[in-house]
Amino acid sequence: MKVEDLNKAKIPVVKINKKLEEFKGKILFPEKLELANKMLEKVELPKVETSK
Amino acid sequence: MKYPRYEYSTEAELNIFEFESIGPKGKIVKLVQYTEMNIKGYYNLAFGDLDVKTREINDGVITNNGDATKVLATVVSTVYAFTGKYPDAYIFATGSSEARTRLYRMGITNNLEELKNDFLVYGLRNDEMFEPFIVGEDYLGFLITRKK
Repeated sequence: MKVEDLNKAKIPVVKINKKLEEFKGKILFPEKLELANKMLEKVELPKVETSK
Repeated sequence: MKYPRYEYSTEAELNIFEFESIGPKGKIVKLVQYTEMNIKGYYNLAFGDLDVKTREINDGVITNNGDATKVLATVVSTVYAFTGKYPDAYIFATGSSEARTRLYRMGITNNLEELKNDFLVYGLRNDEMFEPFIVGEDYLGFLITRKK
C-alpha cells in the first residue's frame, strides 16, 4: 500500500516489526508513567457515556 | 486522516509502535508505548526519540525536526491501532513538561474532528476534574476511550 493510501485510511495498516520485541516487558517511559499514575490517584474519573 | 502521517510498525501485542520522523535534522526514530497504569484498564501513552546507537530513549526533548504535526498525527493514528486490539482501554497522556503537554493538546486539537467520531476525548482540568475536551483550554492531561 502506498503512503498516500495509508494516509487516507481510517483504520491504519499495522506492520509487525520483530525488532521491537527487544523492548517487550520494558517500561520505556518510567517517569511519565509514574507522573500519570500520580495524576490519576486523586482525580475523579469521568463517567463514560455508553452510547454514541 | 486530515493530516499526513508516517507509516509505522509495531510488535505482536501492539503496545509499542515505531516510526521515523524525517526532517532537517535527518531521520529520527520515534517510539510510542502504551503501558498499563495502576488503574485497571487504563494505559499511559508516551512517546519519545530512540537513540539508535545506544538503544536508549530520550523522552525529554522536543526534537524540532519540522514535522510536529505529522508526528502527532502518527501518534494519534496509533490510538486507532491500539484500541483496535484493546477496545475497552482508557488511554491517558500527559507531558513531562508544560511544553510537552501543549504539544499533546495540539495533537488532539488537530485531529479532534476525526477522533470524536470514534472516541470520547476528555481533558483533565487544573482543578483535577475531567471534562469533554474543549479546544483552546489548558489541561494537565488527556483521556481517550473508544465510544461503546
